[in-house]
Amino acid sequence: MIDDDRKQRLLAAMAEAGIDMLLVYGNAWQGDYLRYATDFAALEGQALALVRADGHVTLYLDSPLEVDRAEIDCPDIEVVHAPNLIAEVDGALDRFRNQRIGSAPGRLIPRRLAARAKDLNLADQTAFLDRLLMHKLDSEIAAMRRAATLADEGYAVFRQAARVGRADYELIAEIEAFFRAHGVDHNFQIIGVGGPEVRGMAPPSGKTLKRGDLVTTELTPRVDGYYAQICRTLVVGEPNAEQTKAHALWRESMEAGIAVVRDGVTAADIARAENDVFRAHGLGEYTTSEYTRVRGHGLGLFVDTKPHILEDVTTRIDAGMTLIVHPNTYHPVVGYMVLGDSLVVTRDGCEVVTATPRELFSVPV
Amino acid sequence: MRRGLMGWDQEELPKSVLAARLERLQAAMARNGFEALLLYTNLVRPAAVCWLTGFTPYWIESLLLVPASGTPMLATALSKRVADWIRTTAWLDEIVNTPKPGTAIGQRLAGCKRVGVLEFDALPAGLYDDMVAAAPAVELVDASAMFASVRRSIDDAERQLIERADALAVAALDQVDAAATDAGALAGLVEKHARLAGAEEAYIAIAPDLDLDWRLIQVSGPAPLARRFAVRASIAYKGAWVRRTRSFARDPQGARAMAIAEKWLAQVASSIFAGLPLESQITASLMLLRPAENLLRKSWMVEACRGSYPLEVVESSRSPGNDAQVADTCLVLSIELPVDDVPWIGAAPVFVRS
Repeated sequence: MIDDDRKQRLLAAMAEAGIDMLLVYGNAWQGDYLRYATDFAALEGQALALVRADGHVTLYLDSPLEVDRAEIDCPDIEVVHAPNLIAEVDGALDRFRNQRIGSAPGRLIPRRLAARAKDLNLADQTAFLDRLLMHKLDSEIAAMRRAATLADEGYAVFRQAARVGRADYELIAEIEAFFRAHGVDHNFQIIGVGGPEVRGMAPPSGKTLKRGDLVTTELTPRVDGYYAQICRTLVVGEPNAEQTKAHALWRESMEAGIAVVRDGVTAADIARAENDVFRAHGLGEYTTSEYTRVRGHGLGLFVDTKPHILEDVTTRIDAGMTLIVHPNTYHPVVGYMVLGDSLVVTRDGCEVVTATPRELFSVPV
Repeated sequence: MRRGLMGWDQEELPKSVLAARLERLQAAMARNGFEALLLYTNLVRPAAVCWLTGFTPYWIESLLLVPASGTPMLATALSKRVADWIRTTAWLDEIVNTPKPGTAIGQRLAGCKRVGVLEFDALPAGLYDDMVAAAPAVELVDASAMFASVRRSIDDAERQLIERADALAVAALDQVDAAATDAGALAGLVEKHARLAGAEEAYIAIAPDLDLDWRLIQVSGPAPLARRFAVRASIAYKGAWVRRTRSFARDPQGARAMAIAEKWLAQVASSIFAGLPLESQITASLMLLRPAENLLRKSWMVEACRGSYPLEVVESSRSPGNDAQVADTCLVLSIELPVDDVPWIGAAPVFVRS
């Protein structure tokens, strides 16, 4: 069981770091710290958990709907319905005054609780949990592989759904139905439809597909808590020469990035390898924050976990990390284009876990 | 993360409606001596900012500064490239894209003395720290009660959005066949239908065997459905949320009892009036439906939008309120009770009548 593996590891790490208790916050946006500590995936409302060194976990939820779910999904922990969540956890913390309490993620801990840092011997332990989140156990990697398989299958559904006249949100509706039926409880997905006017991806806005459109998507199913991501671009109709040429550059860049991934390199090394390809083609400008956010990122219990693959991020890449390498950015002639594969870092390189061909797909008109 | 249809249609939500809401809020701020008001938003707590501007973040967090006069400023961690998208979804004249929204807001507040904050206790520590570092002299005061008093009544535009969300939920649940046997496939079907019709978000929960367990859970992947089950569709349309729950039975006794209960719920949902506490109205309605057993075994919950949550519990059978209902408010009533010994769960939106 992944959650048992995680819990043992967490408790051992807490003992080693001298942490008596962890205060962990989570919601449906940033739920990875909470999931690591409790195995609960928050959907509505907010959640706080107290993890004691002896392994006892109390999960406080302000939504009664979530309490029902948590009692079924997480039978081994204590679930408390706390309509006045912050006040109730504030009161509970009083019982642990003489202990060393760590909190994570520090920036999202509610202000009222964070304000008691001195009073409660409460220290931000985000970095402590980040290390556990980044370096995966074998069972975590196995879940991520299952998610990657479904990412491939989901993209096949997406391609099947894409045709002239369909709205962008209809494509996503088809995928979500497929995912719910096949064990994916959540999916992060954004989309872009159009030509050079499209500068990025966002939730669907109701655009309908027409001949010549580039349709970009970043599809990220979650299986047993773990996300895997795939980024692909398709053309409605036959791709033109510029689109084909641009895609070849994106592929060269992604493969250059993947080629340098191995235990011991830095996130910056990967980003540099990707960006050097753009620079070599005179498109270095499009690797900047004006046009792109990151050149890849960690994957795990969060869609966009550390490390971010950027030339100024010096985080060491270790075997057992899971990443996506995606040189997604804007092209001045064809518009926003994406291509990315998920991978597991190994001692000598990496294993790419998504298997969809790295081609510029075309759907018939 | 939101991945359904998002966008601002000024036919549905005219700028004049948003301006009227802003005016009401600013009037309340003036009465309470606030020079500005801060509203936090993320995808779990989007309701306050959405009500005022139409904006819901699909990702990351943002902070809205409502000045004493003039239009609000959004400071968001969403990247600059997303600013154009934000403008297609909301009335926002000023958007500051920054990795440090708290700092940007703090710099803007530097001259203020007293500023209100919706749900001040819950403000994330990172944003708060950045804000007070930039504006150490500002007194920040919880303004949740003030906001709720302005927010409570809904206008015609909001009512129409809620009705649209409800229509999507009803149509999605109409897809359910009581003969269905796979909960995962059923959840996918209901969600697909809602999203195809333009839902911004759809959370589908199922109680797969009502005879064993009344609790509704998220289901994905193959899972058996028993002869009696329930499906809850929590649907958002352009920031307006409703829940609809329906129970289904394959056996004739169950189907008959559930049909009676459904009819009763529709009656209750259309007959909640202002001026009386909710509990007494629900209890009176229950007298129409097998009174003795239901009064003992009923469980109900009422949700409404008062702050940053789209729906939050405001009363329940465990903690009923004594306050009289107010006209022109919208609630979601969820109720579970046995009807002729058949377990039944239902939920529907309620517009409180004057």
